[in-house]
Amino acid sequence: MTTNYITDRHGIRRYMVTIEVNGIEYTRVIKANVLLVNFLRDELDLTGTKKGCELGDCGSCTVLLNDRPVNSCLILAIECDGMKVTSIEGLAETESLDIIQQKFVEFGAVQCGYCTAGMIMSAKALLMKNPKPTEGEVRAGISGNLCRCTGYINIIKAIMAASGQEAAI
Amino acid sequence: MNEEEGIVYSKENHLYDHIRFAGQRPTQIGVSKPRIDGVPKVTGAGKYTGDLKFPNMLYGKLLGSPHAHAKILSIDTSEAEKIPGVMKVITAKDVPDLKYGISPARWDENVLCIDKARFVGDKVAAVACVDEETCYKALKAIKVEYEVLPAALDYHTAMEDGQPQVHDEYPNNINTEIHHKFGDPDKAFAEAEYTRTDICEGHRTYSSPIEPHSAISIWKDGKLTVYCSSQSVHYFQYYIAREFGLKMGDVHVISPLVGGGFGQKLEPTGLEFCGAVLSKLTGRPVKMFYDRYEMFQHNRGRHQGHYEVSSAWKKDGTMQAVKVNFITDGGAYTSLGIATAYYAGGLLPLTYVFDHFQFDLLRMYTNLPACGAQRGHGAPQPKYAFESHLDNVAMDLGIDPLELRKKNVRKPYTTTCNGLQIQTCRLGEAFEKLGEMTDWDKKRKPGHLPKGRGIGIGSGSFVTGAGYPIYRNDWPSSSAMIRVNEDGTAATLYTQAVDIGQGAYTVLCQEAAEAMGYCYENMKIVAGDTEVAPLDFGAYASRLTATCGWACKRAGEEIKAKILETAGFMLHLPPEDLICVDGVISSVSRPKVKPLTFSEVAKKYFIIKGPLVGTGVYTVPRLGGYHKGAPVATSICYSFCTQAAEVEVDEETGEVAVLQAWDVHDAGTVINPALMQGQVHGAFAMGFSETVSEQVLFDDKGKIINGDFGGYRVITALDVPSFTNALIPSSDEPSTPWGLKEIGEGSNNPTMGAVRNAIFQATGVSCEKLPMSYENIWRAIQKKKAADAAKK
Amino acid sequence: MYLPDFDYYAPESVSEALDLLTEHKENAKVICGGTDLLPKMKHELLAPKVLISIKKLPNIKKIEYVKGKGISIGAAATHNEIVFSEVVNSKYPSICNAAAQMAANQVRHVGTIGGNIVSAVPSADLPPILIALGATAKIAGPGKERVIPLEDVFTGPQQNCLEANELLTEIFIPDGDMTCSTYHKFALRRAGALAVVGVAVALQTKGCADGACSIEDARIVYGAVAPTPMRGVKAEAVVKGKMATDDVFEEAGKVAYSECKPISDFRASEEYRRNLVGVYTKRCLKRAIENGHK
Repeated sequence: MTTNYITDRHGIRRYMVTIEVNGIEYTRVIKANVLLVNFLRDELDLTGTKKGCELGDCGSCTVLLNDRPVNSCLILAIECDGMKVTSIEGLAETESLDIIQQKFVEFGAVQCGYCTAGMIMSAKALLMKNPKPTEGEVRAGISGNLCRCTGYINIIKAIMAASGQEAAI
Repeated sequence: MNEEEGIVYSKENHLYDHIRFAGQRPTQIGVSKPRIDGVPKVTGAGKYTGDLKFPNMLYGKLLGSPHAHAKILSIDTSEAEKIPGVMKVITAKDVPDLKYGISPARWDENVLCIDKARFVGDKVAAVACVDEETCYKALKAIKVEYEVLPAALDYHTAMEDGQPQVHDEYPNNINTEIHHKFGDPDKAFAEAEYTRTDICEGHRTYSSPIEPHSAISIWKDGKLTVYCSSQSVHYFQYYIAREFGLKMGDVHVISPLVGGGFGQKLEPTGLEFCGAVLSKLTGRPVKMFYDRYEMFQHNRGRHQGHYEVSSAWKKDGTMQAVKVNFITDGGAYTSLGIATAYYAGGLLPLTYVFDHFQFDLLRMYTNLPACGAQRGHGAPQPKYAFESHLDNVAMDLGIDPLELRKKNVRKPYTTTCNGLQIQTCRLGEAFEKLGEMTDWDKKRKPGHLPKGRGIGIGSGSFVTGAGYPIYRNDWPSSSAMIRVNEDGTAATLYTQAVDIGQGAYTVLCQEAAEAMGYCYENMKIVAGDTEVAPLDFGAYASRLTATCGWACKRAGEEIKAKILETAGFMLHLPPEDLICVDGVISSVSRPKVKPLTFSEVAKKYFIIKGPLVGTGVYTVPRLGGYHKGAPVATSICYSFCTQAAEVEVDEETGEVAVLQAWDVHDAGTVINPALMQGQVHGAFAMGFSETVSEQVLFDDKGKIINGDFGGYRVITALDVPSFTNALIPSSDEPSTPWGLKEIGEGSNNPTMGAVRNAIFQATGVSCEKLPMSYENIWRAIQKKKAADAAKK
Repeated sequence: MYLPDFDYYAPESVSEALDLLTEHKENAKVICGGTDLLPKMKHELLAPKVLISIKKLPNIKKIEYVKGKGISIGAAATHNEIVFSEVVNSKYPSICNAAAQMAANQVRHVGTIGGNIVSAVPSADLPPILIALGATAKIAGPGKERVIPLEDVFTGPQQNCLEANELLTEIFIPDGDMTCSTYHKFALRRAGALAVVGVAVALQTKGCADGACSIEDARIVYGAVAPTPMRGVKAEAVVKGKMATDDVFEEAGKVAYSECKPISDFRASEEYRRNLVGVYTKRCLKRAIENGHK
């Protein structure tokens, strides 16, 4: 049972959580209503994860939670205690970009860039599970991420290219 | 890569090998250079307004009216002010009462409502608090007493006597009224061999950029700094300064990365105005933001309209005259709606030739969120009505729809009946190409495609930058400055242009590098900032690549001239004998002379003369006629395009799928092919999504019922069809740098019509109403079945 | 948007969870995936003072086949755990397909079968196919445990039969005689859209391999067209004991059209939903017979 909390003078409980984000363990004392997206953006200043709709409809806030893509706007940070989170900032090695990031730049899969972080995280999750997806699997894999700029076509091409394939669209 | 010099030499294959550009083919344009902002965006390092933090920063929100139309009797903020963490609550009495708006002809909006609220969400009060959570609590604690008034919610009837008045100053809720006549349409109709009238109904859509608006205001020592999601730092600076009586020089507007605009981020909002007041009163930076639902309420998206289109023809398929009569729903405020209104009819004569034109329009005020300039501005819905109408005409006359369009297509170097001057135009060739690509003739043969399948066509054209600024001024529309680093290894482009995702920063750097004889890879850009960069009006009307492109080209040419002069001095050769390409200066007459690098020459220049700077400026020449509204739809240059869609309709459910889509563009010289394709894909997808899926819906009290991405269905990666792009290459457009044309907005002009016409062929059903939702298509099919049965 | 403050508990045993529920009663809400609960809290439709997470309860995510009895799915199994479950796929891929049609991938990794049931949203995708396959729900309460037919859980739109101190812990799909089943939804977008209509069909057929296919037993369930998932008893009666022919399917569709009880909302009108129920009942019958449980 989670008992690791202190109560402030307004009677609000603050809980201690430890979350591994991009390979580093962070321990913070937070209110139970803190969402993972706000934990990343406000507590850790990892603003690469974006808020687009706050209701799990747009996918802009997608991060990997124990290697699975989730909408961080619908996850309580407290529920991530002891878990591993990867955000867009954790994808690239120090100097070189992840292959998906490279292909997004190369294929013009980025326009305004606001959906990009979430889109790349969904693509990453897909390719981790399925290194040679079909075009249909790529479309399905990013279908929880809305993009208003690109019409998705160059994004699909970029993800196919990141998996060493060419998209026939 | 020459590591020592830090110069990257371009090796990409070139798109324009076959074209001669004044004796020297370009190397920095016509190439798919990677976006200049690509890496910051894919790594999450790039900062949008909402990502920024300042010491001691407060968070702020606006309180919206829960009623579509209501007198504000009293506002009690005392309970809200007692909540710990609430730093300031403001109402109309705390803010300037000067009305504002982006269109000077109708400044009709207050920073906070004074007498009454005019739509659900109209701004009534604002708060600044220590955190986001407290803002929401504070808003709930503000007590507003309203007297609810009857609301004008239906634009079809809003002009009738006795309807609620949205603004007392505008009788019968008429915001804009247009009655244009060119040629003698009445005579042409009276004498025509064939005429036809169709009526189409549009719908409200909202572009929904994925980044919600936010603004951070810092009012300190008499100076106001605003970071905001803005398509135009200049218009924001101008209107913010005007509202507060500040000098423009004391208002510093910065647009960091912008997460999509589509027209909805062109005008300052309550976030900037109230944020400024809250910052002044608290002495702290204030970050204001909309959530997704508030984005839908703020709107400024697509106008819906009632579109009556008539045309007069010879039986051989020659178009002679067109009459259109439109009523559009403007919502509670003007926004950019006057221009939208003029664009609605003004752009129609571009794609086809007819000599007589009548254009009537009423833009209505209603108690709904204000509409503005969404991608394609006033054009897409009227174009849908017109292209639908053309297919109906084609059927009546027994002429293939593509043939009918070819027969009446716009010719180059002509002037439309409403005075728009067209120079290059290759729409005819685009139609030919589209026909080949789609296998049109075969697919249109009855019985060739399986049951439920059909192919349809539409066309479009759009301004490459508006002929006139939004508010009257005589400033040049674009300017740019380039400063070369002391050692010549980098050059920075400064301009107020804004990249909203379309790729402006990349393309402008390519244009600057090309003009300088330099390399794109060594370019940096500082833009979207009113204090460090020179004037540009911003990202709208598909203007930047052309107008700011001119400024960049001229600034680059000034640098190149200085480089060549210095190199001439260094080589003891006349500058006229030297060329500078890809950062290498060489002699034309003496190829054996060892070339100099741009960087060594630039360094020498700095040592002798100081900073190596070039500036460029561009003013749009005077365009258009003298009739009222003549400036709208004028442009230095028009793009043309045509699209086709092949659809499959499930007749039992009305479900429609686009199997394949095609686009052929007369886009002149393409600066960056990958970015150009991205624009076309995005415009088509947005257009297709608007056509079949999107619609902002209201309850009977004027409240939005689907203001989220679950209910307002933007299409996903599974919904977009395969897409084929093609170009009719050219570089002879004289009015733009290198003969380029716009790409961002014309590309969604043909989409609705193409999809409608494909459904028409697939089912025989005419979709006269947007959206062509599954249910609406099913209903149309049911209606046709009943009519067919009745005939038997 | 923000979540109002609440206290958070993550009990590690069912009895501990029930004690907390008993203590906090209406002030408490159980959170599992939270993909339905948290948006409701953000919209201020719910403001629980206490959230009780059941993720740490033993076996609450377990999916297993109990030999000779059926498949047991823990209430906290996520949609994707069901989609990729070998146990479920080997027996009833139709359940996996239904789970895969739901929401977006990000939501399917978090949302749970238990949440999909107790939230009792009429358009939920899992209940129709589970009910068609005769599933039961195990509900734990203070000092007692009850097992009821899944369809009895639903009492109205977003209303279930659980007492404030009860907890759904397991869904059980018994081995049965059904030879084929399927669920298809009609939504207004190809991903991440709620069902406008969902139809599940489970049939016991005979002789299909020999070309003389008869329907011995049938369970048809409509989703999103009534306050709760609705058994299509009249459509079932049409097909039971009949040869599987297009005419029979057509007739069942017509009956489905008239027996469902849809409402009009902004997604679809009543009339359109009726039409879709008819079309989808017809199509699901045909597909089930053609594809077995796939």
